[in-house]
Amino acid sequence: MIRVATILFLAAASLSAQTAADGNWWAFRKPVRPKAPATQTNPVDAFIDARLQESGLARAPRASKETLVRRAFLDLTGLPPAPEQVDAFVRDTAPGAFAKLVDRLLASSHYGERWGRHWLDVARYADSGGYEQDFTYPNAWRYRDYVIRSFNQDKPYDQFIREQIAGDELPNAGYDALIATGFHRVGATVGFREKDNPEYRYAYLDDMIGTTSRAFLGLTVACARCHDHKFDPIPQRDYYKLMAVFFPYINYDHPLAPPDQVTAHEARVRDVESRTAPLKAHVRRIEQPYKDQAFEQRLATLPADIQAAVRTPEEQRTPGQKLLAAQVLTLRGGNYRALMTPADRNEVDTLNRQIRDIEKELPRPLPVAMGVRDGDYRLAPLGPGDDEAPGKGSKSDLSEANETYAPLAGKAYRPPRSFFLTRGDSLSPAEEMQPGFLGVLTDLGVQTAMPPSDGRISTGRRRALAEWIASKDNPLTARVMVNRIWQHHFGRGFVRTPSNFGRMGWRPSHPQLLDWMAVEFMESGWSVKHLHRMIMNSETYQQAAEHGAGKALEEDPDNVLLSRFPQRRLEGEAVRDVILAVSGNLNPQPGGPAYFPPVPDRVRKGVYKGIWEIQEDGPAVWRRGVYSYYKRGMKYPMFEVFDQPDPNMSCESRTVSTVPTQALTLMNNEFTVAQARHFAARTARLAGPEQSAQVRIAYRLALSRDPSEREMGANVRFLNQRMTAHTGAADPAEEALSDLCAVILNLNEFLYIP
Amino acid sequence: MKTISRRDLLFSAGGGIGGVALASLLGSDGLLAAAAPSRNAHFKPRAKAVISLFMTGGVSHVDTFDPKPALAKHHGQPLTGFGEIVVRQGYPGPLMKSPFQFRKYGQCGMEVSGLFPHVGSIADEIALIRSGWNKSNDHVLAHYEWNTGSLLMGHPSLGSWVTYGLGSENKSLPSYVVIYDPRGGPNAGVANWNNGYLPAAYQGTVFRPSGDPILDLRPPAGIRPEQQRARLDHLAALNEEHAARYPGSSELSARIASYELAYQMQSRAPEAVELAKESPATHKLYGLDDPVTEPFGRQCLLARRLVERGVRFVQLFNGAKLRTDIDDWDAHGNLFDNHSAHAREIDRPIAGLIRDLKQRGLLEDTLVIWHSEFGRMPISQKGLGRDHNPGAMSFWMAGAGIRGGQIIGETDEFGYKATRDPVSYHDLHATILHLMGLDHKRLTYYFNGRQMRLTDVHGELIRDIVG
Repeated sequence: MIRVATILFLAAASLSAQTAADGNWWAFRKPVRPKAPATQTNPVDAFIDARLQESGLARAPRASKETLVRRAFLDLTGLPPAPEQVDAFVRDTAPGAFAKLVDRLLASSHYGERWGRHWLDVARYADSGGYEQDFTYPNAWRYRDYVIRSFNQDKPYDQFIREQIAGDELPNAGYDALIATGFHRVGATVGFREKDNPEYRYAYLDDMIGTTSRAFLGLTVACARCHDHKFDPIPQRDYYKLMAVFFPYINYDHPLAPPDQVTAHEARVRDVESRTAPLKAHVRRIEQPYKDQAFEQRLATLPADIQAAVRTPEEQRTPGQKLLAAQVLTLRGGNYRALMTPADRNEVDTLNRQIRDIEKELPRPLPVAMGVRDGDYRLAPLGPGDDEAPGKGSKSDLSEANETYAPLAGKAYRPPRSFFLTRGDSLSPAEEMQPGFLGVLTDLGVQTAMPPSDGRISTGRRRALAEWIASKDNPLTARVMVNRIWQHHFGRGFVRTPSNFGRMGWRPSHPQLLDWMAVEFMESGWSVKHLHRMIMNSETYQQAAEHGAGKALEEDPDNVLLSRFPQRRLEGEAVRDVILAVSGNLNPQPGGPAYFPPVPDRVRKGVYKGIWEIQEDGPAVWRRGVYSYYKRGMKYPMFEVFDQPDPNMSCESRTVSTVPTQALTLMNNEFTVAQARHFAARTARLAGPEQSAQVRIAYRLALSRDPSEREMGANVRFLNQRMTAHTGAADPAEEALSDLCAVILNLNEFLYIP
Repeated sequence: MKTISRRDLLFSAGGGIGGVALASLLGSDGLLAAAAPSRNAHFKPRAKAVISLFMTGGVSHVDTFDPKPALAKHHGQPLTGFGEIVVRQGYPGPLMKSPFQFRKYGQCGMEVSGLFPHVGSIADEIALIRSGWNKSNDHVLAHYEWNTGSLLMGHPSLGSWVTYGLGSENKSLPSYVVIYDPRGGPNAGVANWNNGYLPAAYQGTVFRPSGDPILDLRPPAGIRPEQQRARLDHLAALNEEHAARYPGSSELSARIASYELAYQMQSRAPEAVELAKESPATHKLYGLDDPVTEPFGRQCLLARRLVERGVRFVQLFNGAKLRTDIDDWDAHGNLFDNHSAHAREIDRPIAGLIRDLKQRGLLEDTLVIWHSEFGRMPISQKGLGRDHNPGAMSFWMAGAGIRGGQIIGETDEFGYKATRDPVSYHDLHATILHLMGLDHKRLTYYFNGRQMRLTDVHGELIRDIVG
């Protein structure tokens, strides 16, 4: 029964003898378009059928129209078709009806919401930084919306690459290009005491190198941080060449406003600050004596040896007393305000009022994109937890530093130097590194630095890397994206390890088709929607998931050869979206800052840092899952139980587990229970009191089809039994229908793309 | 490489995973149930279950299990001879003697401070390690280190690895349960029990020590048991008919089975946390008769009940990340007040747990670990407190056939650094896996192009523990 899978095992095993060091590995050779077998008009079918025939198998018959329309809707938009949409498609018997449907769905803005979410997994997107503080990223949503927008616009994939890696260095960089550089920043960051922990920055650089190479090249370059890659021809030096590409980066919130507006804004802020500064100094002058007095009072409560250390004149203190005094003198006193005279207190209050009044003139903050640019990280402004105590503060050597954090136009800029690190240890720098790419793929004729030519200051190293990745000569880039798209249509890529096309990854199941599509993808102008059309208009995609004969199950149990359509379970976000769509409550409002789905108090209690705002259950939170707040320190329980990946590392494909807690969520969770009642009410409204009409409407809303006769019988019987059981309730029929609707939202059929 | 190991996994799964699930495992790592079925260990295990007692905030070793007379002798003098003293907050202070007295306990004569008279009374049961160390002096990163083996966020926790390796012995309870302090969650929160890149089935499930232990366990008010049973029966009937159309899909049948498991969980999980069924003597043993010891006593008693019912890994946290210096062990301000309060909360319950496990014959195959994220400084912070010290810490292990009364490793004369037989978190993890019958070098999971391991490329067994 594991025949096909075994063949793949053996293929991989035999190849492990082949050396990859010469770059001869299949994925490192440029794809050339193979000749498609002439058996079918659609090349997808031609290649897939050829493999099936080799194994003596045949494709399953075409799926029913009801199945196809539901499959296409769920697959492309993550939402089920409305009953009228099902009817319209079933009635449309013209040839090309399905192709028209696919075009319509690709034009829907819901398409980007679903396929953008797939990319956000790869981009390890979240709305907070994780670690201890779990600081919120107030502008991360702009990157999330950028991704959704890019898919909806069918932005050429090479441009999508360039913008995310180096949007700020592109000619005529518009707002979207600046927002796109958030790709480098939406990963996990400590964000606290960064200055006295310089090794954090190396972890972020590693994350950038690792995520960029996994996402676009399908390679695990990060292994080469400490040693030459054990399985792929990636020497440690290549890692440090890539590190030199990213090394000049600084965190930068790009203002999303015209330059003159930015200048005016900064001038107004400076004006307010200059007027409040003397008032603040005055407050400090009045308060200081009282603070000193409060400290004295506190000191008097401490043990004698501590008091003695402080009260001993500085020059007479023992070495131990010096240490103790330095510590204790940083203590704050108690409530100094209580010690103040009424007159002084009044004066301070008046001054503080004046300060607040002036600060009311502060302009509203400009919209900004959370992104990166080149600069001098050593001059980063102090962040949370940074202070200047001995042994703290910046540990950077500033002798070679530039004048400013972000380079100023017209001033010289020296990018901070980047070094080879022995065994990956940031404390063991060896020789200085110049930017470069992976040696095994050669430079493809791309320079290693392409600075902007319009006077903006930047090294242009990321731009060069982006051009090298987005080059049609790069053997990996197109294949990797084609494989990702295929994976989300069929549940599995040709290469089952979409972020690893190296020796430790799987070999492709259909190498020729993968190459054919990779070349086609590039020649189409890197159009992702073109790939969707090519795949979905194939017979392979439109075949049934059921398979009459037993042979396919025996010969191809894992469905590697696609002898039937692989059903797959919806992801957590899609489960919630579909429930809302069926209950009639989905709020389609797109984009903008994230909303917070309500969670039980006991779950919020586990959140100890960062934010999770309390929002009431209602239309404001009945939006699509992709717009909810992704918090690194706490996942929304419903998504978590349905395998939402950890956003701390790029995720190539979600696991699909089947656990009882999923059943508990769908049966008992307040959200699902409430939505089941809404679904029942909607059904009653549309169907009226007749039971068979209710069953029919409920099936059409939730499952996009009419019930079979058997199902109709069973469900009507169930409704009758439940009415009896609910005797005495205010409305037994309503209760019975609620029971049925709750059951329907738990059906396997409801949760699977058919 | 990867494929071979995946086959190993399947073979080691032995009879546990039937042929039907094989295809599903190959395909999508879909699991049959919560409770991934029991698997075979790499070799004969010494323990079936682990109870981790994690003290969040950082327990001072020099005030609990690692007496340092030199601190009293040199009180008030600078700590010298160790280069720059790296503290977490502010400036380094002078050496500070412990405000607690130590005395010898048990036949072994282990020295334990006055903070832990009850734990001292079971000294002959515990193996004390005085030479623990880790890298980070940051609470959260140090929690990641001890609980996930990496100071970067997002790696699977120790409990996830253990349950991934061994599965569960009880399908109607989660195999990995976390019970945190009723005051609130610990430092680092859910990342302590996260499954990382392992399938979601292996993440820790948070139990409340009373009431419904699992989220969404019971239907909301207004849905009667009869009603729920009727819904489930109808659901099963419709699902069976649907599944019959796809005979190859083990995922569909697993999902049908998961509803029955969920239904069983609804009755068995509340039963597991029903502490009222325990005798008054047991309540007293765990300190449930005293409001100070009652909260952690409940956590400990619950841990025993879960282990009795086949739960594989139970982690208890004492201390909550709420008010610094007060709600957890993070004694920057006043060590005496802080540690006196927290030690009192846990001392009786822990001794009660060990005694109870022993009298029930459970201690032999249950591993109990008492630990924290790092030790504290031998020098003072502002005269009364101590700052974080990842260079040295004490922790102890009991049960699982470990020889009690022994002391492993030592620190320098002030307790600043582990000097003899230092034990890292990788070493502890390798040792725990070993006691569970798992070889830390062979317990791997393929992710992002690598065979990942709990111990990465590190980990030495603690010889005196594994024998």
